[in-house]
Amino acid sequence: MAEFGTLCLFVALAASGWAIVASYNGWRAGSGELVLSAERAAYAVCGLVVLAVGALEYCIFTNQFDLEYVASYSNRALPVPYKVAALWAGQAGSILFWLLILVGYAATIIALNRRRNRPLMPLVVLTLSVVSSFFLILVNFMARPFVRLAFTPVDGNGMNPQLQNPFMSIHPPCLYLGYVGLTIPFAFALAALVTGRLNDTWFRTTRRWTIFAWFFLGTGILLGGWWAYVELGWGGYWAWDPVENASLIPWLTCTAFLHSVMIEERKKMLRVWNLALVILSFLLAILGTFITRSGVISSVHSFTKSEIGPVFAVFLGLATTVSLGLLFYRLPDLKSEHRLDSFVSRESSFLFNNLLLVGAAFAVLWGTIFPILSEAVRGVKITVGAPFFNEVMVPIALGLITLAGICPVIAWRRASPRRLVEKILGPVMTMVGTVAALLIFGIRDIYAIIAFALSAFVIATTLMEFWWGARSRQKVTGQKFGAALVSLFDRNKRRYGGFVVHLGFILIMIGVTGSTAFRQEATATLQRGESFSVGRYTMKFEDHYNRDTPNHEFAGARVAVYNDQERVGELIPGHNFYKAGQDPSTEVAIHYTLRDDLYLILTGSDVQTGQYTFKAYLNPLINWIWIGGAILILGSWFAMLPDLRERKRTVEARLAAVEAHAV
Amino acid sequence: MPSDLALQRQIEEQFMCYCGCANLTVRACSCGTADQIRADIARRLEAGESASQVVAAYVEQHGEKIRSAPTTEGFSLLAWTMPFILLFVAGAVLVLLIRRWKTAGLRPLAAGAGSGGAAGLASVPGGSTAPPSEADRRILERVRREIDEAH
Repeated sequence: MAEFGTLCLFVALAASGWAIVASYNGWRAGSGELVLSAERAAYAVCGLVVLAVGALEYCIFTNQFDLEYVASYSNRALPVPYKVAALWAGQAGSILFWLLILVGYAATIIALNRRRNRPLMPLVVLTLSVVSSFFLILVNFMARPFVRLAFTPVDGNGMNPQLQNPFMSIHPPCLYLGYVGLTIPFAFALAALVTGRLNDTWFRTTRRWTIFAWFFLGTGILLGGWWAYVELGWGGYWAWDPVENASLIPWLTCTAFLHSVMIEERKKMLRVWNLALVILSFLLAILGTFITRSGVISSVHSFTKSEIGPVFAVFLGLATTVSLGLLFYRLPDLKSEHRLDSFVSRESSFLFNNLLLVGAAFAVLWGTIFPILSEAVRGVKITVGAPFFNEVMVPIALGLITLAGICPVIAWRRASPRRLVEKILGPVMTMVGTVAALLIFGIRDIYAIIAFALSAFVIATTLMEFWWGARSRQKVTGQKFGAALVSLFDRNKRRYGGFVVHLGFILIMIGVTGSTAFRQEATATLQRGESFSVGRYTMKFEDHYNRDTPNHEFAGARVAVYNDQERVGELIPGHNFYKAGQDPSTEVAIHYTLRDDLYLILTGSDVQTGQYTFKAYLNPLINWIWIGGAILILGSWFAMLPDLRERKRTVEARLAAVEAHAV
Repeated sequence: MPSDLALQRQIEEQFMCYCGCANLTVRACSCGTADQIRADIARRLEAGESASQVVAAYVEQHGEKIRSAPTTEGFSLLAWTMPFILLFVAGAVLVLLIRRWKTAGLRPLAAGAGSGGAAGLASVPGGSTAPPSEADRRILERVRREIDEAH
């Protein structure tokens, strides 16, 4: 089976090479047959990679420990879901998985564009094939998944215990779908630049795929945060680790694109800027992979580091040169007349939103690579950790929240001052009321007050926007309010989906503020029957607790949780000791409520003296991060649904164009 | 006592835990190494060392990389200032651009701009390609006003 897998990957590389040659020559010669041949080759690559992945999974499931990869990341006792996930637990496998998603996307794109975007397709296939070939070279020659060991171990090493969590089955695939998905808009952008066909079609396709990739990237980031929270045992969800940053940076530039593309749609402005954002997002995604995989920057995720760094650097350099070169080459064709009607308009608020989002992306990137710069310039290794990012990002995030509040009330083109005051009065009063309430409740943290007040402002403007919209629909149609609201959302999915995303984002910000500004912690070493408290909770250490599974042994403590004398639950923090012999993992126990989480860790235990040491965190409002995340995901789904009105507009615009020609 | 604790926390926040299990500050990390560092900081403070002495001792022993954030001196200052310098410069450029684009927006649509004519009338499918007459402009102005009032 391993030989079969190796063979598949090798043939896939050959087929991918053919796709490059055929699509390029097909485009040059205008030969539809060659292009078709290139597209078929891309399908074949997809099929072959699927077979190779199947072969690797087969080897994992049949415990073929003579394969280095299987022996390193799986073992007999590994539960089934993790055997599937073992595909992306190690270096070679995760690159193979990346490749699988890429060729899957490529096949989908080709199938979807059999009749559409034909002039662009040869170059789209070319770009996708070049990227696939790069990853195929990696799995064929550098990070080979089917390498045999000289001997056959009785059992494998098993998966890194920190990865043995249900999130392992969903966080990496989501993130990869996001990262790799950015290749599609990039391929269309390059094709549009090369052919000079920079009309509406490319950006409509690009926009759809960018939302898609953005959605998965964001979902992946959120799931990663949640995973870190329940698994890593430090009570937080985001450590500004280089690899976390690497996923956030392209997400920020994508978010910027999704806003600025609306200006291009309406005003045909900012084409260079939008192309640059699409290209930048892809390059940053590759940079992110480079950072994750090469170990240039030490990180919690560097369990997969290896020697592929230089190859990645070369690829990244090449992609940057080619894409930016093309952009400069096309600059004269991209000139568009830039006109704005007013300083106070939706357009200019989007421009400032772009400034802040790209600024945020730069700040995160700058902090992430600063250690390398510092070492190069001063020869001194330094660290840029969470305190730096928290300090730098807070003002930028507050700026973004403010814009999310102001933006919806400012009309496109120009906002009339009277109307603006009318619309903003309610939200401003909500904001003032929030500040007063926070002060009355004794909250003095200035950042928290600003963040909560601005959040209240955004929620108010967004809900008002729903209300105004539904009311004016009511006036037109005479429907009931609820029905009017539903049809309002239904008729403009992208707009209202976007507002829902804003609400989700604000809830996340509220959760982040609450859990950072008002966090409490306590540590105690207890004998059975003793208790300690944090915030409103008291925890009583009741007994030891042990559990045995085929995979691991769990040793921990049973702790009763009291809220003002009332028993509200039981927590069992402890450690997993894995039978495959890896380091034990900390298993935290969490008592979840909407108001706050009680996060309990067993940091140490002495069986002889019977003394157990606990650490407890009280994380206020933290669950609003996950609730906000769910709302954000729902909102993005809604915005991605096919919009009949938009389709109608497109058709009408085309008809009008045809008519104009006829006249 | 609480101020001691606050000082202790503040120092913990300034160090990166070198346990290697995660990129966390000593304050956040929950591993054994962090426990030891925390205990050591407490001991030093109790022995009468000032915060800056504790920090200096750690930097002396472990190198600058134990600091959780760059200092605000010399080259490291750039880490802090660069994002904001860039934001400020880009923001200034943006304001200038918007002003220029606004002046362009106030001019009547360029004559014979062809497809470019759509720039001012983007939302009107197949917007007029001929230069608008005085009457057109008056109507346009009225539409604009009424949209503002009705919206």
